[in-house]
Amino acid sequence: MAFLDNSGDIILDAVLTDTGRMRLARGDGSFKISKFALGDDEINYGLYDKNNVSGSAYYDLDIMLTPILEAFTNNTSFLKSKLITIPRTNLLYLPVMMMNELSGPGRAKQADVGAWVVSVDSNTTTALVNGGLANTNGIIQGDNPTNPSWGIVVDQGLNTNEIPATFTLEGDLTENQYIVEMDNSLGIMVTMGGTAAPVSFIDDDSIASYFITQGAGTAAFIKSNLGSSTTDSPIAGPRGTRIEFSVKPSVELQTSDYLFTKLGSTDITTALATAVQSTAGGAYTGLRFIDAYVRVSGGQTGYRIDVPVRYIKVYNA
Amino acid sequence: MATTFKNFLNNDVTNTRTLLHEAIPVTGTIVSGTYITNTETNIKNYAHGMFQSVYDYPYLSSSANHIFDITCGFSASSPLSSSEPALVTQQEKKINIYNQFSQILNGYNATGTIRGPDRDGNLAAGSQGYEESFFLSFARMLQKDEIKKGSFSVTLLTGALVNFPTGAANQLVIADHGAASNYKVNSPAGEYGILYTSSAAANPNSGVGLIYYQAGVAVITSSVFGSPGSITSDIRDEPDGAGSAGEPAPDGYGTYFGSLATASMTSWECFASQSISGACDGFRNRLANISFNNTTELNSTIYFCRANHNEFNYSSNPTYLSSSKLVVKNNATDLPVSYITTIGLYSSDNEMLAMAKISEPLKKDPNTELTLRVRLDY
Repeated sequence: MAFLDNSGDIILDAVLTDTGRMRLARGDGSFKISKFALGDDEINYGLYDKNNVSGSAYYDLDIMLTPILEAFTNNTSFLKSKLITIPRTNLLYLPVMMMNELSGPGRAKQADVGAWVVSVDSNTTTALVNGGLANTNGIIQGDNPTNPSWGIVVDQGLNTNEIPATFTLEGDLTENQYIVEMDNSLGIMVTMGGTAAPVSFIDDDSIASYFITQGAGTAAFIKSNLGSSTTDSPIAGPRGTRIEFSVKPSVELQTSDYLFTKLGSTDITTALATAVQSTAGGAYTGLRFIDAYVRVSGGQTGYRIDVPVRYIKVYNA
Repeated sequence: MATTFKNFLNNDVTNTRTLLHEAIPVTGTIVSGTYITNTETNIKNYAHGMFQSVYDYPYLSSSANHIFDITCGFSASSPLSSSEPALVTQQEKKINIYNQFSQILNGYNATGTIRGPDRDGNLAAGSQGYEESFFLSFARMLQKDEIKKGSFSVTLLTGALVNFPTGAANQLVIADHGAASNYKVNSPAGEYGILYTSSAAANPNSGVGLIYYQAGVAVITSSVFGSPGSITSDIRDEPDGAGSAGEPAPDGYGTYFGSLATASMTSWECFASQSISGACDGFRNRLANISFNNTTELNSTIYFCRANHNEFNYSSNPTYLSSSKLVVKNNATDLPVSYITTIGLYSSDNEMLAMAKISEPLKKDPNTELTLRVRLDY
């Protein structure tokens, strides 16, 4: 992927994405462009020198020199950070989203691998439990996702100490819709009680998108009134909403090693692996694993966060 | 409410149609001469022997592009058809080729009989066709949607020299003079023009071929290889005055036509005694140049992405904030600013269907309004 020539007039390089071509080929009328968004993926606002002594014309000198890449056809590769429309111009703070590993047991990532770990079948879960890792932080029992507290939690709000958490976040900055994207061939989104979320669409790369809008039907996913306790949320300032969910492994991961062999690797050294290698854990050789991520985006503010997820399965050599 | 998408309104989307033209020169040295080590490796002959393909590079290479095909044939009413089959090589295939092109390019008359290429394009006036013809069919890679009318020309070497005649005196340029505003529409294969030897003599009787613009096929009468000044003279004439078997009494007005293999033959002899590929070899050796402009029809949808003064002034870029505070502001009264590098076009269910990149960042703040024009071509 090359840079665009920026030596002369401004040029616009436009392409259909792979999903666009797929929908066009389908011929069922699903190729219909109805809206647009603007992005600034290449921009590093850290280069904005708002205190430059030479004056305001020099504030964005480095930003304006940023070379821009050609357009990708992969629909998920760009527009990771979108520009936001907020009519007010006097905002000094904008909300962010942060992983919440404080709000209850089992919500922190698994410390040894630095990700949320999904055990894909009962053999793996049993081995982990017998190996002494029962109900450990960050381990989601994918074969039995009814454990009510285990899962992934993301909080939204102003992460600043300059505004007290007791303040209410303005309505136009409070997120009421979340978009969760994950590889549908690996897992699906469920509530922490194990109820599957309705998938909005699955694209050509098998990425499933779930649009979760705050309402009566989504109370299990989106929480509001988060309080101001510093032990319950990583957001230091005023808080908006919270999304919490769990991951259920796909049937293919549960019943086959194919994707583990194709996309993953093996682990015989982490605490998880040594647990299943112990006699109590079943004396397995180790764990197969696939590292993936779940992307959580704000439907209104566009802010996004990638949650690392590891799918694991015991194996014998 | 904060938003990241903006819906298109009816007047934000429009459709246009644009014709793009490219100049396509095909030099004669590509067609014969450049790749001549042992065999002409850019010329592909087939076991069926019904046509010959010309590539721009040895065709066994993956870098080679197919340029055009050459073949030849004569009508069932040609004297060659009434000759003993033993005296005419591939007689049946040559008639089949002629009929095939006639079917596609000229269709049928009222009685269902195949209609041959008509010299003046006036079908109502009765048939005065090209009985023996060469057919050049251009690859779609070159002609794209169609050949631009009035741009087609072929330079042929028609002198009396046996091999590779050179010099302007031996060159004959035939072109679709005046076709930009005067062409025919009575072909089932689309529009076509008449190839003339001179723009000054653009009357129907001076036509020596036809060019079918959408089909990308040029029909050139073999009579074009008659001696200069008598283009329409009988191709059976032979310059040396010696007649061959089956030929009428010579009048000395013909010209030699042929390749190294068929050097001393007239085009008539080539049509009679040579295979189709042999006659095509002869034609290639008399081809100095082809040039035309192709046409690509672009149907476009243009999306006007309008960013008003109060829109898209903030960013969700992680570097935009430091502890939730905007890095581009010192205090709340400073104007927000953002930089546009990418435009995403979305479906109603938020799936990105197309995207566009700008070659340099565009500054957006409440003092500016931008309209970004994104064109998608189909």
